[in-house]
Amino acid sequence: MQNKESVFNGLVRQYSERLYWHVRGIVGSHEDADDILQDVFIKAWNSLDSFRGDSDAFTWLWRIATNESISHMRKARVRAALTFSRLEEEAARVCDPNPYFDGDAAMRSLRKAIIALPDKQRAVFTMRYWEDLSYEQISEITGTSVGALKASYHFAYEKVKQFLTDTD
Amino acid sequence: MRKQVPYSVPDGYFDSLNTRLSSIPQQRARVNFLPYLAMAASFLILLAVGNFILQRTASSYQADDSEIIEYLIESGTTLAQVENIMDY
Repeated sequence: MQNKESVFNGLVRQYSERLYWHVRGIVGSHEDADDILQDVFIKAWNSLDSFRGDSDAFTWLWRIATNESISHMRKARVRAALTFSRLEEEAARVCDPNPYFDGDAAMRSLRKAIIALPDKQRAVFTMRYWEDLSYEQISEITGTSVGALKASYHFAYEKVKQFLTDTD
Repeated sequence: MRKQVPYSVPDGYFDSLNTRLSSIPQQRARVNFLPYLAMAASFLILLAVGNFILQRTASSYQADDSEIIEYLIESGTTLAQVENIMDY
């Protein structure tokens, strides 16, 4: 029977990198993603006793990570509101100039378009578009119905397309 | 829209990531004494303040023997008992 620490280390080895990209896709910034990832695994450690199986480790971790990322983005919005800055400025902070941003101008525009989405819609878009998760998987992670997710993704996709068209 | 993720990470980031994350159990095992210290400090401060207030507001009046005897008589103490008490 594995002890708690070995189970935890197994989760770290198996999921940490992929989970990083999941968080990074939602929040954009490397520094923020790194901080959130630490928080995710701290929460995972603290609640590991209530989870004892490999079958839904993915869903469990992705749920924690998605909630932490959305919470982070909400705090960023409050921060932006309190400092009278706009979220577009926050997007610019994330996207340009940034040593950990590889894309060209088109990708930069895409990132800005995604940052402009509502928090939960951005998370859904990230999981569907970047990570190719099925609607069923996203439904398990977010607790939202498949039908609602399909509608959410459709609207997000159209918004992003429109944003890119407007900024061309 | 093309699907290439446009991000990179610092060199060696993922090499050190697992090591950092794997140290979380050891970090969490260390008992954090700060909340307990804060509680103890608050209690001591409360005690000191309360004692200070009590000292300042308590009467410094000292009754003399005749007042003590009068009180004892009025509260039903017999003369013999009063004599015994006053002998001490």
